[in-house]
Amino acid sequence: MSGGGGQGGVPTTLVTETIRMAVPYACAALGGIWSEKSGVVNIALEGMLLASALGAVVVQLATGSAVLGLAGGVAVGALLGALHASLVRHDVDAIVSGIALNLVAAGGTRFVLRALYGSSSNSPAVPGFHAGATSPSAFTQVVSTLGNPLTLLAVAALAWTSFTLSRTRLGIRLRAAGEDAAAAASLGLGVARLRVVAVTIGGAIAGIGGAALAFDQHQFQSGMSGGRGFIALAAVILSGWRPGRAVLACAAFALLDASQIVLQGQSRASHDLVTALPYVATLVSLAVLGRRARRPSPTG
Amino acid sequence: MASGAQAALRLSGIRKRFGAIVAVKDAALEVRVGAVHAIVGENGAGKSTLLKIGAGILAPDAGQIRVAGEEPPHYDARAAQALGIAMVQQHFALFGDLTVLENLILGAEPSRSAGRIDVAKARALATRALAGLGVTLALDAKVKELGVADKQRLEIVRALYREARVLILDEPTAILTPGEADALYVTLRRLATEGRAVVVVTHRLDEVAEHADVVTVMRRGETRGTRDVERGASVESLAAELVGGALPPEIAPAARELGEVRLDVRDLACGRALRGVSFDVRAGEIVGVAGVLGNGQSELVRVLGGLLAEDAGRVAAGSIEVVHEDRQSEGLVLDASVEDNLVLGELGSYTRRGVVDDDRVHATAVARIARFDVRPADPSLSARALSGGNQQKIVLGRALAREPHVLVVAHPTRGVDLLAARSIHEQLRAAAARGMALLVVSADLHELRQLADRILVMFRGQITATLPPTADDHAIGAAMLGGQTAASA
Amino acid sequence: MTSVAPTEGPSRRTEVLAVTSALLVAWIAFALLVWIYGESPLLMGRLLLDGTWGTAYGAGQVLFKATPLLCTGVAVEVGLRAGLFNIGAEGQLAVASVAVAVVGAHVGPLPSIVALPLLVLVAMAAGGAWAVLPALLRARFGAHEVIGTIMMNRIADAGIGALLGGGLAVAGSVRTANLAPSGELPRLDAVLPALHGSAASFALVLAVLLAFASEWALRRTRVGRELVLVGKNPIACAAARIPVPARLALALTLSGACAGLASAGTVLGYKGYYEMGLGAGAGFGGLAVALLGRGSAVGLVLAALFFGTLQQGGLAINAHVPREVMDVLVGVVILAVSLGDARVRRAAGRASLVAAT
Repeated sequence: MSGGGGQGGVPTTLVTETIRMAVPYACAALGGIWSEKSGVVNIALEGMLLASALGAVVVQLATGSAVLGLAGGVAVGALLGALHASLVRHDVDAIVSGIALNLVAAGGTRFVLRALYGSSSNSPAVPGFHAGATSPSAFTQVVSTLGNPLTLLAVAALAWTSFTLSRTRLGIRLRAAGEDAAAAASLGLGVARLRVVAVTIGGAIAGIGGAALAFDQHQFQSGMSGGRGFIALAAVILSGWRPGRAVLACAAFALLDASQIVLQGQSRASHDLVTALPYVATLVSLAVLGRRARRPSPTG
Repeated sequence: MASGAQAALRLSGIRKRFGAIVAVKDAALEVRVGAVHAIVGENGAGKSTLLKIGAGILAPDAGQIRVAGEEPPHYDARAAQALGIAMVQQHFALFGDLTVLENLILGAEPSRSAGRIDVAKARALATRALAGLGVTLALDAKVKELGVADKQRLEIVRALYREARVLILDEPTAILTPGEADALYVTLRRLATEGRAVVVVTHRLDEVAEHADVVTVMRRGETRGTRDVERGASVESLAAELVGGALPPEIAPAARELGEVRLDVRDLACGRALRGVSFDVRAGEIVGVAGVLGNGQSELVRVLGGLLAEDAGRVAAGSIEVVHEDRQSEGLVLDASVEDNLVLGELGSYTRRGVVDDDRVHATAVARIARFDVRPADPSLSARALSGGNQQKIVLGRALAREPHVLVVAHPTRGVDLLAARSIHEQLRAAAARGMALLVVSADLHELRQLADRILVMFRGQITATLPPTADDHAIGAAMLGGQTAASA
Repeated sequence: MTSVAPTEGPSRRTEVLAVTSALLVAWIAFALLVWIYGESPLLMGRLLLDGTWGTAYGAGQVLFKATPLLCTGVAVEVGLRAGLFNIGAEGQLAVASVAVAVVGAHVGPLPSIVALPLLVLVAMAAGGAWAVLPALLRARFGAHEVIGTIMMNRIADAGIGALLGGGLAVAGSVRTANLAPSGELPRLDAVLPALHGSAASFALVLAVLLAFASEWALRRTRVGRELVLVGKNPIACAAARIPVPARLALALTLSGACAGLASAGTVLGYKGYYEMGLGAGAGFGGLAVALLGRGSAVGLVLAALFFGTLQQGGLAINAHVPREVMDVLVGVVILAVSLGDARVRRAAGRASLVAAT
């Protein structure tokens, strides 16, 4: 865990931890929104986070550069996105593809881990973007967390996503393709191409989240995505596929996570129950949203 | 015909098949600027398919496409639009969650650097395009909030916004009242005079006789000839051409004795679509329901069929069977066998201790195939392989075989060839003669006139008039628009 | 998925083609990964075969691993027939495992002949119960069961962890108490001494019975037929007065029950208790089995044996090549089968795998 324990105590740590933990969720959620808005169901967010986390670590270890490591994570995420979109384009059911990609990511990361570093549980340590120094005051702690390149990138991704979807040609065509692929095709919009672009962009953004995950822990650990991809999926659904609200939901879930870490001394049992909260919330919202919780329809 | 300038759009030798079904074979079409060109044919003749090929939406298996004399190397929807060909399809290519503005500019968005949409310019262009056709719509309204006629206008405006030179409309008047249809043709006439080619796909011969300059007849996937339409051409001669010979007149129905009330509907309401409908149908009676599509007819049928729950009112009936509008999605399980479809929902009566008695099911299927003349007569075939007419026979036959007190049929002959349609009408009349109470919803006034003892006209979820089948178009049209006419019980 | 319409399913030849090409792709992927790791594919292939079908023990282990896969494969298949995607087999079998372990610890006073059927019932009931909520959400509210079942998986994870940590586990450990002796399923080596030492148990027999029973039920019973019809066109079925929500809920619940039976192999026939992670992977493996099994009971059994072989084979080569390569292979096979399936479906002009209502 990066430099906790400075002055400011619990509330400050809560804030910084929440921000830190929200980044992977938010990036994965934004990635999911890009995909689903274009009409491609994406349950492979988990695999994308995991694989891009490893990608980031591998590249940083190989090149010594955090920026290149980040690029590596983004590239892996984009690659998985492109793969998913291509499979769907060739009539593989999106759910099946998502499950398969998750499996490949889970097994593949462990495989690469052993192949490159000889361990089946973690990689060597990486510095990430920080050397983990403690800051003197509460204020600078928060600022430095916010100023972490990955946090900034996540915020930028949110802004860019919202803007692009509503104000650009790509965004409007993508939304049309997501709503009614056949109609969009009859208007001459290249639906298949739009989807590949959308899901790849989504994968790239999720890749930021994966890199954040790994750099935060300063190493890659087997299975370190730990279900975050599914929480992100929950956030996407709860928010009704709206970027701003999805990120808010992610922040709420991150707060849950952070409060568990910060408020220690809880029994394992209540820890687990709190972990289950986002999923229960999603189930409840499914009942409420009902039929509308089936937004993307990949026909055509 | 227009002057000897080259054709704006020319199709020749077009062939297209879907799986085992040949939709279009060796079709040819020449469309010229300045004329309103009608493509007629009965349902299933291949008109929509041919024109979709012309608009680049479908790719032909064979044939040539020429736009303004040139043959484009790669012809798809995008290429077609760039060349000025636009098609307004039956199912609108509009996106409910997007605004009117977004739908208008989609695909041809005025943009600045980096793909950003130039909103100001877009609004200006959109406003101008709407005004050009005299249409008022709120640019920021979501399209899903628009009514059907407004959506159609939006589609046409969009085609003009893209500077279409050839405008193709597929069955545009199916959703319009007679008055609105006339207004549409006035617009189309103007567009043609302004230097465009207008193509209207329709099966309504009266429209052709009144509004078209040129007509091409299609039958069973082939174009059977093109000629000018003389003023005052008769519907009958056109109809004869459609079927390839003069049609024997439909037999006038013998008067039927009416029994007790079998279907009693009181104050039926459901959402905004159905707002208080009351009527009854007696044994032996055929009651027709007319009205522009989208005025509650679909909801009425769905409520009666149990697919939709009513908010208020009650329905009293004995046994009731409903043949829904869309046989492919509501009537048949296409990927199941004809046999499975013929007994769909009845498996309970063929089950003993949880297990189905296949022999009895098979026997029933064979009997029904024979009775309703389903072809090919093979129960094990997949329902998908049958023609529209035979598919309809399955759905209708299934309902009739159960001999309900009440039979509700929505659009009994939509997408069915003329001969099968005739046989369906006979079946319906025979059922009424046996004492069944029938409710027939149809967009085809001609059909209703031939079948019904009285016609209910629906408008905005209510019945605005009850008219005899002999009422004239004017009276029915007025009722479709909400004007109350002297109702006859 | 193959259709039930007798004359219009993919032909036998297409099916064989689809399966062989998937297997070929699997072999190529295996060879590639092994080669990247620096080992000889042929050597590893040989080791794999030796470690699985090469010895009686190995074969027994394959059977053992195939057992839960067959159950979850049937579970996914039953769901798919009704047009539903049960991704929740993982959670359903976990919940069933806990239930069966807890009840099983207390069946001491009962004779085996009563205890075992009881425990099987408990397993299936628990699995079904864990599927009921997503089933109702889908039937009543139309909410997508994929999300619902995924959420139930995660909740099961958390819930079971909480239970074990909160007192269910035997003090000082992370597992439940042992089964009473009458609750244990005998191993297969009791009748087939050659399999001595392997963990294969009579749970395999149960699983095979399950596969054939479901196939029969889907084809010959009224409820089964209606379920399949609903999977093909729920709207037309509703119009024909088939109770669609009830059939959908039933399908998903039954699917969960099938997944629950997987615990017979892991808990009743092997460990004798439950610990976190027992049976993990069988849930998603079930999807692979269902896809490769092409909809027939025989196919499902063969597919389960295939993936069981992969799993056991992974252990056999683990000293040289990480066994995680098998997880990658499962994913690859899933994709290969789906791509082939898509080809078939497109050629027949059919709609997509899951009825997208």
